[in-house]
Amino acid sequence: MAKNPYDVLGVSSSASAAEIQKAYRKLAKKLHPDLNPGDKAAEEKFKEAAGAYDLLGDADKRNRFDNGEIDATGAERPQHHFYRDYADAGDPHAYTSGAGFADFMDSDDAFADLLRRGQRARANRRGEDLHYRLSIAFVESISGATKRITLPDGGTLEVKIPPGLVDGQVLRLKGKGAPGAGKGGPGDALIEVEVMPDRRFTRDGDNILLEVPISLTEAVLGGQIRVPTPTGDVTMAVPKGSNTGTTLRLRGKGAPRRGGSAGDELVKLTIVLPKSPDPELEAFVENWTKGKKFDPREGTL
Amino acid sequence: MTLTKQEFLISSGLRVQTLEFWLEQRWLLPTEAASGAQFSDADVARAHLIRDLKSDLGVNDEGIDVILHLIDQLHGVRQAFALMRTALDDDSRTI
Repeated sequence: MAKNPYDVLGVSSSASAAEIQKAYRKLAKKLHPDLNPGDKAAEEKFKEAAGAYDLLGDADKRNRFDNGEIDATGAERPQHHFYRDYADAGDPHAYTSGAGFADFMDSDDAFADLLRRGQRARANRRGEDLHYRLSIAFVESISGATKRITLPDGGTLEVKIPPGLVDGQVLRLKGKGAPGAGKGGPGDALIEVEVMPDRRFTRDGDNILLEVPISLTEAVLGGQIRVPTPTGDVTMAVPKGSNTGTTLRLRGKGAPRRGGSAGDELVKLTIVLPKSPDPELEAFVENWTKGKKFDPREGTL
Repeated sequence: MTLTKQEFLISSGLRVQTLEFWLEQRWLLPTEAASGAQFSDADVARAHLIRDLKSDLGVNDEGIDVILHLIDQLHGVRQAFALMRTALDDDSRTI
């Protein structure tokens, strides 16, 4: 049930046509949706007032209403869209004026920057970031490398692997993502790099761990052995009397750190006896009295 | 949807002289196409607003000029705010 149109306009039932028009104008100036673009409630109130004015502002309709021939709903306006529905619909159009804030854009503060960025974001949207995955060898992760990714569109992307990269690290290639709109510029390519496990090396922080088998002779008498590092083989001295579990440090042969220094390569020795039994060795150990007295489990078991 | 000048006159109920005057005042800016002026839904709604201002609110022509100019600025500011909101949203996502 619609409200009594006289109550809506706030006039008495004996009001003159001029009074009714004046009352309506007073309301409409405050309530017109296009004069209140952000006020959702204004629209309902305005429709109510406009409906009441449609009825009472027309002498003939007012007569019929007063005589009970039509009710208050009889004069409701047909739905129409207000201008604000279009003016607010997003993209700037011919009528939109930036004159109300143009002076803010000229300054250098964060607010102006945000406004400018916002405008660019709409008209000149930056391209999307594109995500890729790349697997590299352990050695490449330590010494660095240049890899190529084949893109879905057939193009290629050159990826420089920085020395010392860790498994799961994401590399950002600026401007290698999807193209942007207008002056938005392209997005970035984000490459998640997986480091494949190596059968020799494992990594512990900046250090590289490696197990190297040595012969009984090398263990007892010491000697020079060749040891692999990610950057190539090096010669390392095994000290006399080395044991299984003895760990030797190759300084600076680990993963490069920021700032030019590098971790170490830790070489863990394992004594390996000849594969086939050797009669000479057996005879020696048989006659080695001190060896029989030595109990490596003493005090531990 | 776009309307030709003739269709616009019928749908808005405006007289030709009135429309000509509004166009002259640049209160309405239809798109100029090879086939003549093209009126959008926004133009129709804007014509509605101008008529409301003139006939219902008793605004004279000078007043219409001022009001439309202020409303256009208001919508410019509203769009700038909407853009800023998107920019702020984008920022908080990337952080």
